[in-house]
Parts: sequence; structure tokens; C-alpha cells
Amino acid sequence: MLFAERGYDGTSVDDLVQGLGVHRGSLYKVFGSKRGLYLAALRHHLEDEVLPTVAALTVTSGPAEALAQAAGGFDGGAAAGLLLSAAVHQAPTDPDVAALVEEALRALERALAAVLGEPADSPLIGALGASVLGLRLRDRAFGPAASAPAVHALAVRLAD
Amino acid sequence: MARLSVDNGTLIVEIEGLDKLWAIKSRIEIPLANVRGATADPGVASEPKGIKVGGTQWPGLITAGRFRRHGELVFWDVKNPAKAVVIELADEQYARVIVEVEDPRAAVALVEGALRH
Repeated sequence: MLFAERGYDGTSVDDLVQGLGVHRGSLYKVFGSKRGLYLAALRHHLEDEVLPTVAALTVTSGPAEALAQAAGGFDGGAAAGLLLSAAVHQAPTDPDVAALVEEALRALERALAAVLGEPADSPLIGALGASVLGLRLRDRAFGPAASAPAVHALAVRLAD
Repeated sequence: MARLSVDNGTLIVEIEGLDKLWAIKSRIEIPLANVRGATADPGVASEPKGIKVGGTQWPGLITAGRFRRHGELVFWDVKNPAKAVVIELADEQYARVIVEVEDPRAAVALVEGALRH
């Protein structure tokens, strides 16, 4: 997934034409623009990877497992990182991207709320959702082991 | 070089200066409803253009005018590929308009922003 690896600005139409193996004219005809293709890729990532992963959190054994699973890969799959990079780079200036990012984060918060038996709009759920995002970012930078102790400590506190 | 503007639900592409001579047409107006998007695409200039159906082409120097390829009519006005912007259209005479602009990033933001409203 080129956009996930290189970001929106770092991915040229030449990269997309080569990477996808399509004619330039077809790419423009189907998606209208690079932004149109990006939105389609982000929507696909959301529906095929993020939302199913988030839905699976609600059938975990409890808060510790749900948090570990969320921090380890709610934004996983072939386009891992696309949602996070969209949140950082495109969402502040593109309302359509912002809406897709918000849809993903709301789903994450609803799943965490269901696991913990809390209302989805409670401050605790907001803080947990933000923690999951932060841990995902840190793991992407430093490797997957980094979040484990933090998740464990958080789960122990929540169980108190 | 072309100048893009949006006025009252219409995208206006004005060909400026001497380019008017090469490109045949100096002004194209497209209802925003028929504009699908805009993309800064420096690589587009190295694509085969197809058959010229009006205008001028001095390979490697200037591509301007109407070109037909794969059944699509495309309007070109590009000298400097680094500043090329592709505007994709629907239900118009041209399948797409490919023009050189002063600031591709600003031009894309203008068009994409107008489409969201």
C-alpha cells in the first residue's frame, strides 16, 4: 500500500500507475483524481481492516486482552498505518478524510466502552481511545514490543 | 500557462499569453458538477498524447491543443511538466484538461475545495 508507506504527498501518480499496474487514463477515469483514489483506499482500509478488527475487540475475554489487541493492531492489515497517517496529515485540511478517521475512532471507542461496560461518551473511554492511538504510533516507530508493559499497567489499574 | 478560477459554480480555465496562439481555445468553462477532481501530475507529460486534432505540438517543447487517444478527447497546454495539473471531467467535450499552472498545489486545492462545497 503506497499511501501507507509514503504518505499522500510522497506518492506520485507515476508511483500509483506503476504500483497498481493501470493506465493513467483509467486511474483518472475511475477515481477522478489522486485524492479520489486516496479516499477510496482509506474507505477500503476502514471497512475491510479497521472496523472488523475493532468489532473483534468486543468478544475478547476482558479489558486487558481488548486493550492489548487494540494497541497491537486495530489499524493493521495490508494498509497498516494509513489511518494514523491520514489522521495526522490529511484530516486537518480535508473534511472527507476527517470524517473517515472519526468514524474509525468512534467505532474503537464504542468497542472499548462495550468491553468495560462504560458509556461510549465517558471521559475514561476517550482517554483509553487516545492511549490506544498513542501506543499504535509508538509501536510503529519503535517496534511491536513497546506497548505491552503500558497495556498491562493500564489493565491492572482498570481492574482495581 | 493557464489560470484557474471558480465563479458561481463554474470552473474557468483561461489560457494566458502566447499560449493562446498554440492552444486554439483560450477559455474553457466547466460546471463544477462535471468536474471530478484535480491532480498535480508532473509525470503526465511523458505519456503518449495520441493524435492531434488541433493546436500545436513541438515534441519536448510544447504540447497544446486537442488530442484524441483511446477515444478520449484531451485538452493540453503544458510546456513545463513539473507544473502540470490534470483536471478530470465527466459529460463534457473533453475527458480531461491538462494544463500548466503557476502553483499546482494551490490550483489543486482550489478545485478540490470547490468540489466539496
